[in-house]
Amino acid sequence: MKNPLNKRLPREIRGDFGKYLVVFLLLVLCIGFISGFLVADNSMIRAYNDGFEKYNIENGHFLTEHKMNKAQKRAVESNGITLYDQFYVEQEADFGAKVRIYAKRDNVNTVCLMKGAFPEKENEISLDRMFADNHELTVGDIILLAGKEYTITGLVALPDYSCLFENNSDSMFDAMLFGVAIVSGDTFAQYTEDELNYDYAWKYDVEPQNEAEEKTVSEDLMSAVNEEVALKDYVPRFENQAINFTGEDMGSDRAMMIVLLYMVIVIMAFVFAITTSNTIEKEANVIGTLRASGYTRGELIRHYMAMPCIVTLISAVLGNILGYTVMKNICARMYYGSYSLPTYETVWNAEAFLETTVVPVVLMILINFWILYRKLKLSPLQFLRRDLSRKKKRRAVRLNPSLRFFTRFRIRVLLQNAANYLIMFIGIQFAYVLLMFGLVMQPILEHYQELITDNMIADYQYILNMPVSEMNDKYKLKMLFSMLQFEQNVETENEDAEKFSAYTLRTTDESYMLEDILLYGIEPDSRYVHLSLTGDEVYISSAYAEKFGLQKGDTITLKEKYEDKTYSFTVTGTYPYEAGLTVFMTRDHLNEVFDLGDDMFGGYFSNTEITDIDEKYIGSVIDLDSLTKVTRQLVLSMGEMMKLVCGFAILIFVILVYLLSKIIIEKNAQSISMTKILGYSRGEIARLYILPTSIMVVLCVLISIPVTSYEIGIIWKAMMSGMMTGWLPYWVPKQAYIQMFGSGLVCYLVVAALELHRISRVPMDMALKNVE
Amino acid sequence: MMFLEIKGIKKNFGEGDSLVEVLKGIDLSVEKGEFCVLLGPSGSGKSTLLNIIGGIDRANEGSITINGEKTEDMNEKRLTVYRRKHLGYIFQMYNLIPNLTVQENIEVGAYLSEHPLDVEELIGTLGLEKHKNKLPNQLSGGQQQRCAIGRAIVKNPDILLCDEPTGALDYNTSKEILKLIETVNQKYGNTVIMVTHNDAIKNMADRVVKLRDGQIRKNYLNEDKMKAEDLDW
Repeated sequence: MKNPLNKRLPREIRGDFGKYLVVFLLLVLCIGFISGFLVADNSMIRAYNDGFEKYNIENGHFLTEHKMNKAQKRAVESNGITLYDQFYVEQEADFGAKVRIYAKRDNVNTVCLMKGAFPEKENEISLDRMFADNHELTVGDIILLAGKEYTITGLVALPDYSCLFENNSDSMFDAMLFGVAIVSGDTFAQYTEDELNYDYAWKYDVEPQNEAEEKTVSEDLMSAVNEEVALKDYVPRFENQAINFTGEDMGSDRAMMIVLLYMVIVIMAFVFAITTSNTIEKEANVIGTLRASGYTRGELIRHYMAMPCIVTLISAVLGNILGYTVMKNICARMYYGSYSLPTYETVWNAEAFLETTVVPVVLMILINFWILYRKLKLSPLQFLRRDLSRKKKRRAVRLNPSLRFFTRFRIRVLLQNAANYLIMFIGIQFAYVLLMFGLVMQPILEHYQELITDNMIADYQYILNMPVSEMNDKYKLKMLFSMLQFEQNVETENEDAEKFSAYTLRTTDESYMLEDILLYGIEPDSRYVHLSLTGDEVYISSAYAEKFGLQKGDTITLKEKYEDKTYSFTVTGTYPYEAGLTVFMTRDHLNEVFDLGDDMFGGYFSNTEITDIDEKYIGSVIDLDSLTKVTRQLVLSMGEMMKLVCGFAILIFVILVYLLSKIIIEKNAQSISMTKILGYSRGEIARLYILPTSIMVVLCVLISIPVTSYEIGIIWKAMMSGMMTGWLPYWVPKQAYIQMFGSGLVCYLVVAALELHRISRVPMDMALKNVE
Repeated sequence: MMFLEIKGIKKNFGEGDSLVEVLKGIDLSVEKGEFCVLLGPSGSGKSTLLNIIGGIDRANEGSITINGEKTEDMNEKRLTVYRRKHLGYIFQMYNLIPNLTVQENIEVGAYLSEHPLDVEELIGTLGLEKHKNKLPNQLSGGQQQRCAIGRAIVKNPDILLCDEPTGALDYNTSKEILKLIETVNQKYGNTVIMVTHNDAIKNMADRVVKLRDGQIRKNYLNEDKMKAEDLDW
């Protein structure tokens, strides 16, 4: 015989439809979104990983000053690699973005066609899909590059540009102002030598066994290449952000999403457990009778656990269906909005199924079992006597009789529902963490932009291009000649210009993401960096200090990018500069440390544009535009997501407060009924039963705001340290606090109105019918 | 050997100065199929004794043997099985499951037995045919108590324990319920132990046990057993 208690379950749903519906919807949406995310993430990671083989992604590439001849190529290839020409030109679009154009590749870094066709004729081009999307360009449109019209024949994904980093040293990519494209070989052949950048991709004849070996091999290779040609840039694949950033970022999002799901499940499990506890209190006599009749505790635990588990299971199944159908596409679009990923095929993801179906149900079972086991541990007699306290003698808290009756009454309601309010606080905390994250993301980026604008060292920083080969001791004569020529050609008449030396080193602290630190050697009486530096004093930028938690007296150890050679500096102080992780010292000191020569300099600070230096000597220009690249890209890729996060947070807030205040009203339904009989007005009853919850909600909100701000600060720092290069200081505008408080209050007012309605529906005969 | 044997049952509540001896050594034997009424004023210990017999409370001393099984040696799990196999409970409050119909509430009891009575037939015996699809809140107090009796006896327990089953009912309904219990006792042969403070009910019992201050003051077989229908108070 089937357990007749099971027949209660559908009736329970009908009887408490509102509660089950909101929990169900929340779980379906949450599980659906996260399942969709995990499926999209997994499918795209799979596509991304498979792409290494499928599109024969390079093991690295290097840029040379001049085109390599056959002998040089042979010499380089004798190091166990095969070289592939991957020349490109860079042209500016009429809307201001830079497009890096390659000839269609057939051997290495082959191109994934996402839409349309590959270019075949002259004036035809295939644009990177994401770049095109960002500029609302599609197949058939015309794009004007360097004054020349190209017809877009297709949208493509270049596997070596899954993330549109213009330079590997950039702290963030910028898919608005930088894009890649391909043209036919014939079209490419028409570009002049002046326009060409000599980029060579390489593949190892025998792949290194592991990352350590790859590092060694690539370092040896760099030395070998350096001996043959003048290197402008050297990027082994494992260091190539344009290739690797996407994979790393997709992996880190996954962990965050799973944590988010489990937090929602745990909160919902506690909401269910509190609801069930309330039901158990209400049904104590029935439970006592059932236990006295021979029902085991296990049978009753299973019975009361059934609803939460069924709801979670159905939600998980439907959520997964939703995930695999609708949400997967939404999440894939989110990725496609940030990365230039190739096409993907949906891959059945057993792990995602486990994480979004089995784990939530198990979590729900464990939490509910734990609470129900404790709750149902009482003897049948205790249930029959409604003596449900596990404590031996539970005395009523003594309240000062001088307090007004209403106040004492409300305190009793507060005490009676302490567990509910605790869950409410935790839930509000969780919702507020999400809400605040959604609310502060944009202000943080805007604030960062303001900070950068306010404390830029100079409007323009020109980093001069000193080819790596010029530093090579092996070719001293060549180096000397190049140096003399370089020094002559990089002098400027611009009166605003101030020389500085520059050197880039890499951090060594592996608990953070490894990143490049720009070391400035400045003039002693610099007009741009307001530091009175003497001797070997070393200042670090405030962004550097903040990110790595450094202060005066600490020692920083940095290393050469491609060598093991390390340098240690003792921090003399911090210089207020938020735009980058930088180190400041005197020019003499820097030149001495890196053995650059006394008069050596690497760039200019200037508040006006320098126009009298040949562009080929200018490696990069650090101006407002380049410094705000990070924020622009983040706004672009995360803006919509943040709105979703805020919406989700508000939904959780409303659902939690609604469910918990509903429980409180239901728990007191009989007393409410009695107060009605006694003649209390609706307003008075609301003051007794709704006001305590209102006070608690306001308190929870008020406490949650600073606590959340503190928590987000910690999360932010951890995120910045572990997931991103560069530093965006954490900043919360007052407006965000007001928005949080306001939205909390408005949400609660909606819930309170519903509760007021619920109170008005409590029948007066309830108190009379249920008298025992 | 008697079907139910109670020997030297003592039960205390509290400790130290506030220790109250509720049962001070109860010895009692009941035959199978006997209708036994426990009478006594409030605080005499009759409900406590019933709860100890029912295995939902523990005695401090003494032993209870039902059909050769001693309950004091049983752990909680075995006690549950014991209750499941041998006992049916009826309380003053009906304690029906509010969102199950009359029939389903009875099935809740039937589920516990390997050989339950026929539910439909029992509903007929209980006089609840017309109400079998109603929820408890659609029933009168008497109908609810009938349903509670149905739930208790559907598993055909060896002993039916009734704690003031008519305590919340009016005269006519009380008599109906008593008649029903009488019918059940006769039809199914269950041993009935009923706690009541209604002195008149003793007249329908086979055995009358009067308790006062935790002790049995009187324990006798009723020679002039009346039918429930003829009771008056």
